[in-house]
Amino acid sequence: MKLSLEPVMNPSKLTGNVFDIKRFALHDGHGLRTTVFLKGCPLHCCWCQNPEGIASTKQVLYFANSCINCKTCLAYSKNGGITSQEKGIKLCREKTEDWDTIINMCPTNALQYDSKTYTVNQLITELKKDLVFFQSDGGVTFSGGEPLYQAPFLLESLKACKQANMHTAIETTLYAKKEIIEEIFTYVDLIYVDLKILDSKNHQRYVGAKNDGILDNFRYLLTSIHKDKVIVRTPLIPQMTATKENIEQIAKFLFHLYPDVHYELLNYNPLAKAKYEYLDGTYCFSENPKPYNDEQLQKFYDIVLQQGIKHLIIE
Amino acid sequence: MELQQTKRIQILKDKMMQEERYVSIEQARIITDTYKQHEDQPIILKRAHALKASLEKMEIGIEPEELIVGNRTKGVRAGVVFPEGGCSWVDKEFESLPTRPQDTFQIRKADIKEFREVILPYWQGKTLEDVVTSRGGKQIKEIAKVAKINQTDHAQGHICPDCQTWLAKGPAGLYEQARKAHAKATGDHAQFYESVILVLEGAMHFMQRYHDLLVQEAQKPENEKNKESMLTVATICENLTKRPAQSFHEALQATWFLFVILQMESNASSFSPGRMDVFLYPYYQKDILQGVITKQEALELIEALWLKFNQIVYLRNKNGAKYFAGFPIGFNVAVGGQDVDGKPYENELSHLFLQAQEHLGLPQPNLSVRLHKNTSDALLKHAIRVVAKGSGMPQFFNDESIIDAMMDLGISQKDARNYAIVGCVELTTSGNGLGWSDSAMFNFNKALELTLNHGTCLLSKQVMSPDFGGLDTYTSYEELEIAYEKMLDYYIDKMIACIEIVEQAHMDILPSPFLSSVMDACLDKGVDVTAGGAHYNLNGIQMIQIANLADSLAAIKKLVYTDKRIKQEELLHALQHNFENAEVLRQTLLHKVDKYGNDVAWVDELGARWARKFRSKLRNFTNVRGGPYHTGMYTVSAHVPMGENVGASPDGRLSQTPLADGGMSAVYGRDINGPTAVLKSVSRLDNELTTNGGLLNMKFLPEFFKNEAGVDKFASFMRSFVQLEIPHIQFNVVRKEDLLAAIAQPEKYRSLTVRVAGYTAYFTELAGELQNEIIARTSYESI
Repeated sequence: MKLSLEPVMNPSKLTGNVFDIKRFALHDGHGLRTTVFLKGCPLHCCWCQNPEGIASTKQVLYFANSCINCKTCLAYSKNGGITSQEKGIKLCREKTEDWDTIINMCPTNALQYDSKTYTVNQLITELKKDLVFFQSDGGVTFSGGEPLYQAPFLLESLKACKQANMHTAIETTLYAKKEIIEEIFTYVDLIYVDLKILDSKNHQRYVGAKNDGILDNFRYLLTSIHKDKVIVRTPLIPQMTATKENIEQIAKFLFHLYPDVHYELLNYNPLAKAKYEYLDGTYCFSENPKPYNDEQLQKFYDIVLQQGIKHLIIE
Repeated sequence: MELQQTKRIQILKDKMMQEERYVSIEQARIITDTYKQHEDQPIILKRAHALKASLEKMEIGIEPEELIVGNRTKGVRAGVVFPEGGCSWVDKEFESLPTRPQDTFQIRKADIKEFREVILPYWQGKTLEDVVTSRGGKQIKEIAKVAKINQTDHAQGHICPDCQTWLAKGPAGLYEQARKAHAKATGDHAQFYESVILVLEGAMHFMQRYHDLLVQEAQKPENEKNKESMLTVATICENLTKRPAQSFHEALQATWFLFVILQMESNASSFSPGRMDVFLYPYYQKDILQGVITKQEALELIEALWLKFNQIVYLRNKNGAKYFAGFPIGFNVAVGGQDVDGKPYENELSHLFLQAQEHLGLPQPNLSVRLHKNTSDALLKHAIRVVAKGSGMPQFFNDESIIDAMMDLGISQKDARNYAIVGCVELTTSGNGLGWSDSAMFNFNKALELTLNHGTCLLSKQVMSPDFGGLDTYTSYEELEIAYEKMLDYYIDKMIACIEIVEQAHMDILPSPFLSSVMDACLDKGVDVTAGGAHYNLNGIQMIQIANLADSLAAIKKLVYTDKRIKQEELLHALQHNFENAEVLRQTLLHKVDKYGNDVAWVDELGARWARKFRSKLRNFTNVRGGPYHTGMYTVSAHVPMGENVGASPDGRLSQTPLADGGMSAVYGRDINGPTAVLKSVSRLDNELTTNGGLLNMKFLPEFFKNEAGVDKFASFMRSFVQLEIPHIQFNVVRKEDLLAAIAQPEKYRSLTVRVAGYTAYFTELAGELQNEIIARTSYESI
């Protein structure tokens, strides 16, 4: 992990890798927001909703739906990075090619980079476009990937947002060094933190890393000056996070840290499965489960409430 | 207690929806007979006698449950044949009316016979349509693909009469005023007042007839149940013949009579009541305070009137029905806004009107909410909750954009603050302006086509205009612009000449004394409204479509002249052959340059710049009634036929396919940066460009409105809309059918986004299985 916040000599030169800037985001905090999706995540939750955000490097994507089979790209491919297929083309990303030109020449944008490099200034220019829509409660949300994974860029971007008087939010797993968190959260007005699994072994199994660092950060965060701007969230993934034991353990853990903690359970969203098909990846469920119904959700809510949590957010 | 829709209203609504629409020639017969009887009189008196006779003789009907009575025919939603406007098209199309693709009407065989044998022969050469054709038919036809001239076969509509004065004086009061003025007048003025006197006599008689019919019907045993209310309504009708309205119920009935009679005089598309929460409030407030009615009773009366607004439709010819599909007649009601002192205005009626719309969900009245910086949260959120019901109403207008822009046209601050909406989105002052708001539609894209192709039409291959050059000869983008400006000048001159012919013909053939009696300052001046009697005399021209123009110019500028990625001849050749064997080129035009509607300033500015130029050129002319020309950006459904007139265009659009819808909206599917980017782009169009009305369509998934958090977010969106000074916006809620259409025609729905997982995605890019999932969850009724 390259997570350390050395003083940046020239913040304007700092660049970040952004895989989407979503204006008019309605689900990532109060009001109308612009959500910045920073690429790269050190965790590998097997149900990941944004699997395209896990890898930290820029990649070429091929949208077969948009391809008109014109083979323009083949003419610009010098080293076998693109080969013809009966229908459309096949990519060989590791081959050295002038990908910029190839992508530019594709008339339909069937070939695209999955992300774009921004300087802090460029990013802020983009974010300022919707300033008028932020009104009193909207603003900018940094998501990912794991936004803390590009901590130096994130920090400078947040500072610039605050300078422009924007409300800031973050969606994070807290998988980072405590010093980084301490510094960054100074510039964040609303902190969404995922807490997926409390049991260390299961965390390792489904999330791909140990959770002791994460839990330490929770201990810090929920007793710090930031504790009232935190909303803890657990996605309900059948068999993995959505077990009685796990929810009970999380609720107990949170309540003991801070009885006034805000906590939210996110229903299982089956739609992420489709994304894995674009990325040639495998999804954690071969048979996609259904979202929980109201009655099932109520059972989870009851578990949380029994642990004494007062501020359970129910949409 | 929550206010309810009453059983009475449900019964009336059901009855109305079940009744079939027929063509009616009854009034045509009466008008024809009357003209024959007054053959030696000037047209204004013939018109007045004809209206008076119609008011006295047309068969009338009532429903026993009705609380508001009156219609222009006995049957509801009849298609009235109106000979003075024009009937040669009726002759040609009569038999096809039940089966034509848009806006069908049933017909009776005997009517066709009578129409052809008795009515039509009398009117040959006398109708507005015939007069316009003989004076300027050829000119009008020659420029039709670039500048389509409207109002050639029917009387002027899109007018907001002076309801306040009508209520305050009533027909009896206006009648006295006209009599006094008549005693002192001479010449044309005397004729004008004489006509006004005749039609007001007719109006009072008409109301009395409803009284008589109600009293008679109330005696019937089968109406025993409704006897009491029928007699109440009868008394109201009689009162209104003698004195102004006093109660809320009387004021509503008087308002409806006004609009029925206006339609009987003009048969025009759209007379609009405008700011009903302003002019009806004193009556409502008084009745509530005195305990004469409850809020629930007031709502029932409002809903009874709302039903009536759906009972008058407008019979257009086949082509007209295509341009204005769904027989919109536009009883536009404005709610909220500012008062004449600039203070926020809203009251209980504003909310009751919204509630009535929520209950009925019918196409009329066309309900419009005026927003401004200080609109209350209560009104804004109420309006949003009604939008969420999915009827597409209310639509929203923006005082912050409109008021100053109207003042720029020479309208006083007080009148500008008191603006209303007529028809769909056209703007007007209240009760003192003839806006002539659908004068013509100017197709910027056809003009561009001729500029690129040496004045030759891509469709007919015929020479249409002078040759100012071609895409193959312009050595720079600037040269192209110079030629384009010449092309605009050429067609503007021709268009204005045609409009003058049409306006003069209206003055000669269709003076309108009844309308003039409720249009300030016609009675004072003794001048008919068609002759410039109104206080304001505007003439509005629609600019079609700036979105396509901006996209085409951006493609040429960037890909041809700046990047030189596409050769000039190559693009011209592709346009001439509708992109045959040039799909790579077309896709490049579609995808490799930014498009209007995505908050990309240089592209948006290309469109705005030409709209601005066009408007300033128009300001050099004065219309026949002495007022200015101005511009609007809306099409209703005209983007389809206007598109049929345009060959392949440099924005990648195929020949004869539709242009962008709405007026200020982006081309279907090209606004891929979301709704905030659309608003930002639209906000780059100056407010002054849309004083005749602008139209912005937007679609949202129903999930947006699912809970109060959604309503709050929507309210933020609307506050930003106000701040951005965009004149208009209306919303459709995306339904299952839209999503199915998006699968069938993905290119038209590229911008449709849905919430997938971690974030929102473009619906058309999703895999089939996932699309089906989303369709399954988008059941509007389930909310």
